[in-house]
Amino acid sequence: MLWNYLKEEEADNKMVSFSEIMKRAVTGKPCLARDYELKVFVPKLREIVKNYDIEYDPATIIPSDNSLADDVFKAAFDFFLETGAYCMDTERIIKFDEDEIREGLKNAPSKALLGEGKDARTLTPRKPEDKKSPWCFLGAGGVPVSSEEIFSSLVKGYASIPEANSITTPALTSAGGLRIRPRSPIEMMGAIRNAVLAREAMRQVGRPGLPIMNTLATAESAVALTMALQPKYGLRATDGYLVAVMDPFKVDFDRLNKAYAVLSLGAPLGIAISPLLGGYSGGPEGTAVANAAYHLLATIASKATWHLPFPLHIKYVCNTTPELLWLISVSGQAISRNTHLLSLNLNYTAAGPCTEMCLYEIAASVMTSVVSGLSIEALGVSGGRYEDNMTPMEPRFSAQMAHAAVGVKREDADSLVKKLAKRYVDRMANPPKGKKYQECYDINKIEPSREYVGIYNAVKKELEDLGIEFKPESI
Amino acid sequence: MNEKEEIIEKLRSGVVNCNEEGVMEAVHEVIKKGFDPNEAIERGISEGMRVMGNRFDKMEIFLPELMIAADIVKAGLNILLPEIQKEKRPMKGRVVIGTIKGDIHSIGKDIVAAMLQAYGFEVYDLGLDVQVSKFYEQARKVEADIIAISALMSSTIGGQKDAIDFLEAMGARARFIVMVGGGAASPEWAERIGADGYAKTAAEASKHALELLEGRRGG
Repeated sequence: MLWNYLKEEEADNKMVSFSEIMKRAVTGKPCLARDYELKVFVPKLREIVKNYDIEYDPATIIPSDNSLADDVFKAAFDFFLETGAYCMDTERIIKFDEDEIREGLKNAPSKALLGEGKDARTLTPRKPEDKKSPWCFLGAGGVPVSSEEIFSSLVKGYASIPEANSITTPALTSAGGLRIRPRSPIEMMGAIRNAVLAREAMRQVGRPGLPIMNTLATAESAVALTMALQPKYGLRATDGYLVAVMDPFKVDFDRLNKAYAVLSLGAPLGIAISPLLGGYSGGPEGTAVANAAYHLLATIASKATWHLPFPLHIKYVCNTTPELLWLISVSGQAISRNTHLLSLNLNYTAAGPCTEMCLYEIAASVMTSVVSGLSIEALGVSGGRYEDNMTPMEPRFSAQMAHAAVGVKREDADSLVKKLAKRYVDRMANPPKGKKYQECYDINKIEPSREYVGIYNAVKKELEDLGIEFKPESI
Repeated sequence: MNEKEEIIEKLRSGVVNCNEEGVMEAVHEVIKKGFDPNEAIERGISEGMRVMGNRFDKMEIFLPELMIAADIVKAGLNILLPEIQKEKRPMKGRVVIGTIKGDIHSIGKDIVAAMLQAYGFEVYDLGLDVQVSKFYEQARKVEADIIAISALMSSTIGGQKDAIDFLEAMGARARFIVMVGGGAASPEWAERIGADGYAKTAAEASKHALELLEGRRGG
């Protein structure tokens, strides 16, 4: 057991307990949601960005300036201290004092054991330009699929990627012949099928110990997740469990229930955080501070073991525009330089499978994350919008890029990523949708089409010509 | 600039500059001085919101400014609209909007609601986690033209189909244009469940809503 939060009060009084958080959720300052958004969150974030003089420089995607990263961290700390979190159910603000935040960060998990047998690994934090390999959390990013057949084939494909440290499964959209409805028995059935099918698919390709780290994509509600936690369905305390915090800085009972259920299992809890560029956090500067501050919120208010930031563009629903890459880098450096938190950036591309653009976006995103001190989750393809619009090729390419980016200097990465972004930035508004899995793969043999292999080889050669040194492929 | 033009400009610039006090002062002046509330809405308040919608679409402003402007517009309309007979109102149409049951994501829906206002629609926002029957009840109550249903998650999107099926079962499907959107929706999904419209962005949704409405009225 990594961290038994439920016994924390006896073991360590330095952390704010779950019961104390609930107490503050019912006794904190009452506030309407719209007032919290527009009269607390927005003005305070703008004031703090101005106070710390944080500025986006369009000429740079990956800054090498450590003082900028440290200022973003300090700004994030001050911001979380001032705004706290908003509880949607009680319509109250949950606040924490400076000592509680500092102690929370100090005592947050610095490692997480995931997986079993020969696939057991320990997730550890990284630093900018680290020579340590990033954690490769590979798969579908919870994007929906149309059938169990597609689901199983994809998971087999993901688990066959040698660099995979953990798997992110797709989400099933139906169970028992019916479209899933939240908080219904169909959702429970779907959550169970998600767990059972994923475990079986990984067993079939000889990697039964690989952890599922987005447990469970098909369980949106707490009741569906807790149902699927029964050991007979194959989930383990060494899987990773993913719960969202709503933007901006909002927690709610259903998601806190999920967090509590996961922690009671003694399992690593991941908190997914998704500030929107152009949303309540405003431009790149505010979104960088919010993205870093979300890590503090997730650590203190939601008891995260690990963090899954995926800031998104409010119009394009991806995070590969130059502004997004800048804020991922700056906030990633802020967190990795100033804490030991376990953070993995989730990449969302605009373009779909079997397109050059998608591979360029992946290369730019992964390079940015890895040199900035983050690990990766790969990925949500074409904004995660289309059913079956994903293949094992994109996470496989992501993993190769992740390992090729290890030890690269930020300055060199900046030059490279700028060249990559130029190849696709003009197409962000109308990206190619690409092809569905069944259209560019043999889903029984789990082999890409000749066309996709051609695109993959051509882009890889182009990147090698730009100076990226890929490790030899081991299949 | 004569007095009426000054007031109209005060309404327009008040929305653009998010000056609620200024807009409300101007709204009361419109009534006090007996100016045409239709003109005040069309050339003042709605024009200001159109500017804000365009700026947001180009990302010259961000969500907070759009939301504040939308709240100001709503406050102004609440006073001016009752001054005008329902059939003479300058609005393009009425939209009932909400996030479907089981889904508590509101940002995308909020943006679409604000942009619809910018395009001259009268918007009734039901909020989030909305029962399918509530869409029907509210649409019937306000004699809406369009029902717009948002869903972000693949696990909640089935509710969009439930809402359409509910309208069918109530014999009211033909009465309303149904639009769907949100992170989990797609053109294929909209077609599969029998929705009339889908759009990827808020600006596209607003333009599409106008087209659908014109198509229906033209037909």
